[in-house]
Amino acid sequence: MNVTDLKIDEKAKIVSLKKIGQIFNKRLMDLGIYESATVVMLNKLSSNRLYVIEVDDIEICLRKEDAEKIEVRK
Amino acid sequence: MIYLLAGNPNVGKSTFFNFMTQSHVHVGNYSGVTVEKRVHHVKHYEGANLVDLPGTYNVSPASEDEGVVTYSLLNESYKGIVNIIDSTHLRRNLHLTIQLLELGVPSLLVFNLKDALRNNGYVVDIDKIKDSLKVNAISISARERHNEDQQQIALEMQNLRITKSLELDYHPIIKWGVQRIHDLLRYDVIQVKKKWLALQILEGNEGIFKFLNLVKEDKIREVVKEVEEKIIAEKVAFSLKGAIFNTRRAFIDKLVKDSLIKVEEKEHSKYFNQKIDRIITHPKFGIPIFFTIMLVIYQVSFGKFLGVGSLLTNYFDILWNDYLVFYLGEALDFLGITGFMYGLLIDGVMGGVGGILVFLPQIVVLFFMLAIIEGTGYMSRVAIVMDRFLSKFGFNGKSIVPIITGFGCSVPAIMATRTISDKKERILTILTIPFVSCSARLPIYGLFVSLFFNEYRAVIILGIYLLGIIVTLLSAKLLNLSYFKGTGSKFLLEVPPYRVPQLRTITYQAFEKARRFVKKAGTFILVGSIILWLLSNIGMDGININPEDSFLSNFAGFIAPIFRPLGFGDWQATSSLISGFLAKEVVVSSLNILYVGDIAAGFTALSALTYIVFASLYVPCISTVATIRSETGSNKWTLFSVIYPFFVAYLVALIVKLIFGIFI
Repeated sequence: MNVTDLKIDEKAKIVSLKKIGQIFNKRLMDLGIYESATVVMLNKLSSNRLYVIEVDDIEICLRKEDAEKIEVRK
Repeated sequence: MIYLLAGNPNVGKSTFFNFMTQSHVHVGNYSGVTVEKRVHHVKHYEGANLVDLPGTYNVSPASEDEGVVTYSLLNESYKGIVNIIDSTHLRRNLHLTIQLLELGVPSLLVFNLKDALRNNGYVVDIDKIKDSLKVNAISISARERHNEDQQQIALEMQNLRITKSLELDYHPIIKWGVQRIHDLLRYDVIQVKKKWLALQILEGNEGIFKFLNLVKEDKIREVVKEVEEKIIAEKVAFSLKGAIFNTRRAFIDKLVKDSLIKVEEKEHSKYFNQKIDRIITHPKFGIPIFFTIMLVIYQVSFGKFLGVGSLLTNYFDILWNDYLVFYLGEALDFLGITGFMYGLLIDGVMGGVGGILVFLPQIVVLFFMLAIIEGTGYMSRVAIVMDRFLSKFGFNGKSIVPIITGFGCSVPAIMATRTISDKKERILTILTIPFVSCSARLPIYGLFVSLFFNEYRAVIILGIYLLGIIVTLLSAKLLNLSYFKGTGSKFLLEVPPYRVPQLRTITYQAFEKARRFVKKAGTFILVGSIILWLLSNIGMDGININPEDSFLSNFAGFIAPIFRPLGFGDWQATSSLISGFLAKEVVVSSLNILYVGDIAAGFTALSALTYIVFASLYVPCISTVATIRSETGSNKWTLFSVIYPFFVAYLVALIVKLIFGIFI
């Protein structure tokens, strides 16, 4: 499953970021998003086109097509 | 003595900088606000200067803007580093801290947002931090501006420990790689620690290759590749960068566990943010909400109803024209100054500069309110709301910051594009920003709406702004389809919490706008007005001539016919547009001077409308063009940025004329 499958306030562990391109992966890492991190789905916006997620203590907003590449396990 | 100020974006770095140096920079909720290099004197510390580096998550640069950090660490000669840390986001912030401490330069860690952390029920154990990391550290709240904090920080800066570089226990493969690169660096003369350089190179810091001409660059790159392959082959991590990151994260986890202390149980609820966000960024209501807020802001600034700005402008106008200009005229009469000199002073200088200055109150009110909106964190939500649109038109998610900055002035907006890492996306944004209506163009709209569209002031001005945005978007799409294919793919936005804006920051921002506006009126516009008045009053037959025979009239009259299809083909309107190339406000000064106060006589309602549309979109001012040249580094794109808007403006003005010709 990927991040977009989570319900609001649901938690999961990131298992793979491999589908994400290298540059974007670096940006995610800069923000503290990494494999094995715990992610919380905070909000789904704009008719489920944008996802606000929380990792550690940081909140970020991603597009659906990018969020789908973050694979998680509950 | 130089100290470098480093930190993540959005941690209150600018607030801290202002606080410690008692001088202001723009403070906003966005990453990428701090673009230029700023050096200021440190309070309570004679001879010390603080350099404000751009906010960055990492020493290795993701964009041109962030490259400044690596560059400064390598090339500046500095006594120490002040690292500002957001206490409420320790884990993310400490990644940068680790990298700076690995460098082994005397450092002061400033844990900011102490109050916000306390509100969540936590405190940072500073002694524990000092002990584990062997550095100077302090916990403060820069927003509250305590004098003791200021003195304590200055004192700490004077007594920085000689720091041993922090050494983490990286995987043996990485240690081996560091050693090999270290050996290859012995041919280079470098002022920073070579071990640190080696690790940064392994991490993928391209800035090092860019700023230092390493003798064995090719060999070093080979080592990096080899190390990466080994890391992956031995399943240490999925990438070399990931392996380094994991070691740091483990270290940080332990550090945070030891030094972040819970002092009170607090319900850490995101419920409020969630709820508000869902309303504000609603797919249907999000955009109407945004426009309603904007309409209210424009109504208060320019409208008749609720129009604080217009009211103040009216008073200012009376004060200027009925008192100042009147008594100056009397005084000149009394002194026996008439004719040419009288005209120059009253019609040229006072008319030209005054025509601009009367708009000062409206601009202050507008920017005061925009600063409130920005301070609350709403602008990031606007970026979310607008993302769907922006992405369709080929903009990078980060383009929203420069576009919003563009409402103030195109020059800082174009500089703010440095945060966009993709070169093509950056140029695309640079080329379209000048269509966003900057504050210098406001007096033009203000002048004409008060003359011709008194009832609909706010609506027309908001309409012009919207038109600017639409043209920006369509131009981006056009460029996106032709030269800049396939841009606008990624969107990643940090969502800051809602905050109550600080009155101090807001009033400062509004007054800073006012100060620049007045300064421009006193320099550029003053000189422009004098030249323009002279050109319109001197001709082949000497001075004191009929303006129709002036140099300006002859020259502009030659060009004017091309504007006839748009409805304003006389030489006065044309000269004003030409002089607007200096600065857009000069259009208003020129109109005041050339029509000698009676602008209404030169236009009809329809031609006034096409004139403001044309003036809002045509050729960027000279400062903007210069900035485009220096930021793109390309003559081709600079030329394009001048010619393209002219044709767009002409076309759009023509369309507006045809459509509104039916009604007016």
